[in-house]
Amino acid sequence: MGRKGAGTNKIILLALTPFLVWIIAFEAVPVLSMLLSSFQSDNDQGFTLGHYITMMTGPIYQQAIKNSITIAFFSSVAGTFFALFCAYSITRFTRRRRDQLLTFTNMVTNFSGVPLAFSYIILLGSNGMFTLLFQKLGWQVLGSFDPYSWAGLTIVYIYFQIPMGIMLLYPAYYGIREEWREGAAILGASNRKFWLYIGLPTIMPSVLGTFVILFANALGAYTTAYALSINFNLLPIRIGKLVSGDVFARPELGSALAVLLAITMLLALYINERMVKLTRRR
Amino acid sequence: MKDTSLIQRKDGRVWNTSIVTMLIVYLCIPVAGTLAYSLCQEWQGTILPKGFTLKWYAEIFSDTRFLEAMGRSLLVSTITVVISLLIMIPTIFIIVLYYPKLERTLQILVLLPFAFPGVVAAVGLIKVYSSGPLAISGTIWILIGAYFIVVLPYVYQSTRNSLRTINAKDLMDAAEVLGASKVSAFHSVIVPNILPGVLTASLLSFSTILGEFVLANILVGGSYETIQIYLLSMMRVSGHSASAIILIFFVLVFVLSAIILKLGSWNSRTNVSKGKPKEEDR
Amino acid sequence: MSYVRIDNVSKKYNDLAVLKNVSLSIKEGEFITLLGPSGCGKSTLLRAIAGLNDIDTGSIHVGDKDITYLYPKDREVGMVFQSYALFPNMNVYNNIAFGLKMEGMKKEHYTPLVEEMIELIDLQGKGNRFPHELSGGQQQRVALGRALVKRPKILLLDEPLSALDAKIRRTLRNEIRKIQQRLKMTTIFVTHDQEEALTISDRIFVMNHGTIEQVGAPEEIYTSPKTEYVARFIGNYNVFSHSEILEAGMSVIPQGELFAVRPEAIVIALDNHTKDYTEATFMTGMGWVNQVSVLGNVIRFDVDVNGLKLTIDALHDTEIHKIKENSKVAVAIPLTECKPLNHRD
Repeated sequence: MGRKGAGTNKIILLALTPFLVWIIAFEAVPVLSMLLSSFQSDNDQGFTLGHYITMMTGPIYQQAIKNSITIAFFSSVAGTFFALFCAYSITRFTRRRRDQLLTFTNMVTNFSGVPLAFSYIILLGSNGMFTLLFQKLGWQVLGSFDPYSWAGLTIVYIYFQIPMGIMLLYPAYYGIREEWREGAAILGASNRKFWLYIGLPTIMPSVLGTFVILFANALGAYTTAYALSINFNLLPIRIGKLVSGDVFARPELGSALAVLLAITMLLALYINERMVKLTRRR
Repeated sequence: MKDTSLIQRKDGRVWNTSIVTMLIVYLCIPVAGTLAYSLCQEWQGTILPKGFTLKWYAEIFSDTRFLEAMGRSLLVSTITVVISLLIMIPTIFIIVLYYPKLERTLQILVLLPFAFPGVVAAVGLIKVYSSGPLAISGTIWILIGAYFIVVLPYVYQSTRNSLRTINAKDLMDAAEVLGASKVSAFHSVIVPNILPGVLTASLLSFSTILGEFVLANILVGGSYETIQIYLLSMMRVSGHSASAIILIFFVLVFVLSAIILKLGSWNSRTNVSKGKPKEEDR
Repeated sequence: MSYVRIDNVSKKYNDLAVLKNVSLSIKEGEFITLLGPSGCGKSTLLRAIAGLNDIDTGSIHVGDKDITYLYPKDREVGMVFQSYALFPNMNVYNNIAFGLKMEGMKKEHYTPLVEEMIELIDLQGKGNRFPHELSGGQQQRVALGRALVKRPKILLLDEPLSALDAKIRRTLRNEIRKIQQRLKMTTIFVTHDQEEALTISDRIFVMNHGTIEQVGAPEEIYTSPKTEYVARFIGNYNVFSHSEILEAGMSVIPQGELFAVRPEAIVIALDNHTKDYTEATFMTGMGWVNQVSVLGNVIRFDVDVNGLKLTIDALHDTEIHKIKENSKVAVAIPLTECKPLNHRD
């Protein structure tokens, strides 16, 4: 390089322009315009906090936020819980088998959105295979299950949360060293005590981090619910309707809701990063 | 002592195997159900499907609307991935090697899409591109623009890792001392060596775009019908055809995943110093 | 005459001065070593010569040519990296041919050169192997061949042996030296391993904190360190001050402030065997053995002479084996071996 010529620098910077232009056009400008528009009143261009107030007080929006949080919470609790066991079991296999299992799990994460909604209807819909099976077996509670209920939607969400939870959680188990386990055993700790005092505390930050990511994932999920029925009053669906619905379009209000969602996501990612750091430090 | 630990270990294996088996079965049920649905004459009001047929597949493949939708999806994915590689590989290379101080900024820009679920991204994009000088919503161009951002994290991560494993800085130095200019060193030494890793990212990006629904639905909807949009409308017309589409889509993703896996193992084989040397030193 | 000339080269990273007005000159065909711990600036200097790092001030000449502002590709230097930096996508043949191809040389012209080089580095028949199919030692030979095939004006070696295990390191070290002498290649070798530096070099430049602390032939550096830093870095020298000897009650007190003595130069004997060393050429004293450790062909004693801590190496023999921990011993330091050091703060 000798002493860097100004010419070289210019060429190098030139090579970065396409990236910058793209980022500005499709990331920076849209995000900023969303932010600005969330503070603009519906027709004129005046500044207002009205959309944020509507969002917090309007019953339909309150309802959407509440629904979204509820379903995100329950599906993430269940997803984290099952992933905790599954991820552990996967790590106990040989390396080859483990990689196969992870690839399989990862592939299944592609089976979400429209395909998942569809298979859910043919399996658990009013004429679905399992619904009929349960009816035949006389399990009335399960047989009369309503696929378009909140409970039904939660079950679909759990389906895509589990594989994602596994992918996020399994690395944490490698933080538990075999020597600790052996050390604890020599000191007389039972398997149960080992997990209670050493194992779980070690992976706890990862578990919380995973929960947070799953929560954010469910909060932002749009497709599955949309494909099942457009009438679920969920935050993402509400946003979609506000920005693209022809009759009820209120893009500024939609922007405000989207900003809320984005902030929640950023917060979730931040918490997760802290948690992962916490695990690593040990 | 020894005996009990042996029994414990055996119990552990039974437990892990059953957990993993249950997981596989659970994750496979929706896929299997969809497969069965796509291969039967009829599945109405009975627990098991009736009559084997391939006619839904035959129908789908002679349906021009399906072929067109598939073609559009493949076109968008290909263009996006190619553009993304052409722009991002030099960008990441330059920043990592020559402007390491900017890497944190690059990371934030590139990983931001993870924080913004599809709906949120759609809000800003539709705001900017539905009217005015750049009214490209409803066309393939807005999809390419948006998907470029969506696949950034994959492309960044894999390019970054590849550069790290091949020790790009040293290779560049070596090539330059041997008489290569920066540009020729980049294309004769760096590009061939990071290609396998980057190919993995391309396939991952490719299947992500094929499965994307939210942005497609809100930004272009019916005016540029992608495979996922077509699938949703088909779901409301014929379940059998829809399930055949899902299966075709899933097989495509499966094949891509298999290629990724193959590339991955090939990658680790050719790694510079990681692999066991075949020759012993004298 | 000097072939490579480096004048007043300085380099700062942020506010940290990595090279402080370094000047040195090397004769044609000479093998010199830049020796020092990590962070002393030796690699920065080497990379500056290659053109891979820029420098803030100073100039670098090779032959009559000022190369200070040239791109690496125009400097006619060859370089071998610690990580080998072989191109993983090319086999041995193509790795070696790379530099010649970059010159625009035709295939029929470079083929014989590459084949000759493969023979020189003793990898006949392995031209089609890829780097990952070779052992570490073989990879490093390819790196060496790749650097030499263009017949550079200087060969730069950046810790080329540190990733190899001890045995191969020794063999390869001798091979590098042999090839260098056969080609009469002016070579600059960077290492932190003093043994390596001592065996391979014509001259050694000991570096510390961005400056050259001492220059000399290996035996000169080893037997006559000029500063405490060199004494400590080169061997397990005992370094002590005038007042320390005074307090220890040694028989003779030499002139000077600070001294260095090699551990194997000191004579150690059990208390009752000291008569031989009472002449005026020795400085003697009595002490206690704190620790005895066997280091292969020598035994190392840590001895306390009234607060003066000495490390003494002795060869195995029956008398020496009688000395145990807590033995009372006599120590004798030949005054000729007691090297005065430049005092540094």
